[in-house]
Amino acid sequence: MKLKPPINLAWIRFTSCSGCQLMLLNCESSLAELARIVAIRDFPLASSTLAKNAEIDIGLVEGSITTSSELERLLAFRRKVHLLVAVGACALTAGVNSLVRGERRQAMTKVYAGQGDNWNTFPPQPVDHFVKVDGRIPGCPPEPGELLNSIGTLLNGGWAGHQVMPVCMECRVNENPCLLERDRAPCLGPITLAGCNARCPNLGVPCEGCRGVVAEANRDELCRLFLAAGLTDQEINHRLERFGETT
Amino acid sequence: MTRLVVDPLTRVEGHGRVELLLKEGRLHDVKVRLLESPRLFESLVVGRRYDEVPDLVCRICAICSAAHKLTSLQALEKLMAIRIPTIAAVLRELLLLGGHLQSHALHLFCLILPDLCGTPDLLVLLQRKEPLAEAGLKLKAFGNRIQEIAGGRVVHPVNPVFGGVAYIPDKQLIDGLSEELRHWQACWPDLCQQFLQLSNYPEASPVIGNPLATGLQEAFALNGESLDYGEEQVDSSEYAQLLGEHSRADSHAKDSNGQAGPFLTGALARATLVAGRKLRFDMPAETFGIHGNNLAQASEIGWTLLRIGQLLETLRQADRSEPLRATLKQANGGVGTAATEAPRGLLIHHYVVDEWGKVVAADIVTPTAINQRVMAAQIMADLANEKDHERLCKVAERIVRAYDPCISCAVHLVKVENSSEKGLTCQKRSK
Repeated sequence: MKLKPPINLAWIRFTSCSGCQLMLLNCESSLAELARIVAIRDFPLASSTLAKNAEIDIGLVEGSITTSSELERLLAFRRKVHLLVAVGACALTAGVNSLVRGERRQAMTKVYAGQGDNWNTFPPQPVDHFVKVDGRIPGCPPEPGELLNSIGTLLNGGWAGHQVMPVCMECRVNENPCLLERDRAPCLGPITLAGCNARCPNLGVPCEGCRGVVAEANRDELCRLFLAAGLTDQEINHRLERFGETT
Repeated sequence: MTRLVVDPLTRVEGHGRVELLLKEGRLHDVKVRLLESPRLFESLVVGRRYDEVPDLVCRICAICSAAHKLTSLQALEKLMAIRIPTIAAVLRELLLLGGHLQSHALHLFCLILPDLCGTPDLLVLLQRKEPLAEAGLKLKAFGNRIQEIAGGRVVHPVNPVFGGVAYIPDKQLIDGLSEELRHWQACWPDLCQQFLQLSNYPEASPVIGNPLATGLQEAFALNGESLDYGEEQVDSSEYAQLLGEHSRADSHAKDSNGQAGPFLTGALARATLVAGRKLRFDMPAETFGIHGNNLAQASEIGWTLLRIGQLLETLRQADRSEPLRATLKQANGGVGTAATEAPRGLLIHHYVVDEWGKVVAADIVTPTAINQRVMAAQIMADLANEKDHERLCKVAERIVRAYDPCISCAVHLVKVENSSEKGLTCQKRSK
C-alpha cells in the first residue's frame, strides 16, 4: 500500500548507543527533503514533539530489550504502529549488549557497587522475541543510504530488497586483496551479510560482522581458515559472538 | 506539595528526566534522573583480549564513539608501553576533532537552535528554509566527513587500531577537506552570532561546580597525563580519589562527589581552565550562566577549525612510506589509565590486564556522570524564584540541554518508574 505524505514517523529507542538514530540525523543533505514527506510524531533525540496516542505509519525501533518497562513500551508501540522496522544490531540480535557473561545480577552489583540488586533487568533480547517485525535494517551502525532507501521504498508501498550475498562478494567486485589470505586477519567477510559495499575491508580493516550472518553461511570452513591463521578456539568464539553468532 | 515531571527530556542524547518538587509554589527539590538501561560495559570486557576492547567500548555511545575508542586505545597502549607513530597520532587527533565539530554542530544547530527560534525541532526550520539551519547542518556534515575520512566510518570508527592506525587517507581526500575547511574558517564568525545573544537565553545564576579538564595547555589532551581542576593538577591515574565516583540509588549514572568537587566538565570548563582556549569572543560569559556552555562550544568550533587546518597540512606533507602502527611482540599485564577531552568533557578509561593480555577489570568515567550532580543544583539556583509551572519545566529542560548531556554515555541507571511511557513534556502531579 502506498502511503500518502506526510507519513507519521516515530523512532523508539531501547538499550543501545543512539547510533542508529544518529545515522539518520547524519543524512544531513537529505533531511530537508525528508522533512517534506515525513511528520515526526515521536523522536525525542531530534524533536520536542511528542504524540502520545497518534497513529504511526512507520515505527523504527533501535536497541535491545533489557527491562520489563522496556518490554511494556515495546508492546504499546507495536499496537499503535502500522509498520514496525527493527534497526541495527541491538534490535536485531541484541548486539554487543548481550556479551555480558554469567549471572546478570552479579555483574550489576559489580558495576554499580552494590546498587544493582533492585534493578529489574534481564539478558538483552532482540525485538522480534516479543513482537512482529515487518522490516529489518542491519548494521552497527546501519549504512545511512540504507535507512533513506528503506523509508523511501516503504513510502511507495514496497520494501527494500534483502541482501543475500556476503561482504566477501562486494570485496571481489571492488578488487580488494583478501585480508584473510594476505594478512591472515580474522575477517568475517565470508559469512557477513553484504550491503555496506565492504566498507571496512576497502580500507584494509577486517570485517567484524556487524551486519549479521548471511543465510547458508559456511561457518565450518571459516572456522577452519581462522584456526589455520593461528587463532585459538576462544578467540574465534569471541570474534563470532560480537554480533550474535555462536559456534 | 506539587511534583512537576519533564519526561522524557527531549533534544538530549539518551533517555532522562527531571523532577521538580514545589513547596508552597516555590522550587524545593530537583532530581535529574538518567534513565538509560544498564549495558554493563565495564563487565562485558572482562575476560576478553585487550585488543578487542576498543571495538566494544566505542559502542557505549554513538556521538562519542571516536572519543571512547581513542581513550581506550590510549589507556591500553600506555599499559603495554607502546608508542604510536606520529602520523597515527595526527590522524587520531583529526578524527577526535572531527567528532568535536560534528558533536558541537549537532548540539548547537539541531538541539539548541530550535529553542532560540521557538520551534519543536530543526526540521521545521529546514522546511522554512532557514539559512542558519541549513548552514549548521552543512557544518555538521563537514565534521562527519572528517570523521569518515580519518576514521573510516562516521559512527564507530575502524581506522584507529591497537598501536596506531590501519590506513592513511588518500591525498585527494585530504585536499578536499582543506578546501572546504577554508570556507568554514571564513564564515564561522558570522554563523555563530545567533548563539552569542544574551537575550536568547533564560536568565541564569552563576555556574555551579569546579571546572575540570585534562591538564594540557594547547591541543586536546590526546595523551592526557593529568587532571586540572584550577587549584592544582593531579596525575590522571588518581582520578578515582579526585572524583570519588560511587553509585546512587536514584540514578543510573554513577555519581562523582570527591572532596574538591562537585565538578563541571565540558566546553565551558575547558574555556575557563586552558589558557589557549579562552572564549574567542569579547563577551562576559558569566552573565550567561550555564548557557555560556553554548558560547564556549561556538568558540571551540572556531578553535577546532584552526587546529584541523594544521593537522591537514601535516598530513599532506607526511611521508607515506612510514609505518602506521607499532607492533607488540607479546602482550604484558599492567594497569593503564587515560583521560581525553570528549566533546562534552572529561572522559576517563581505566583498565587492568593480566599477563596473558586478558582484561581483569575496567572502569569508565564519562563527562555526563561527572556533570550529573551540578545539573540539579544549577536548576535549583536558576529557578529559585520562578513560579510559573510551564516555565519551570521549560527552563529546567533548557538548563539540562545546555550541558549537552550524553545519557547513553553515562551508562548507569535506575529502576524506571512507569511514568516514562506517559510522554508528557510537563506533567503535573499533586500529592
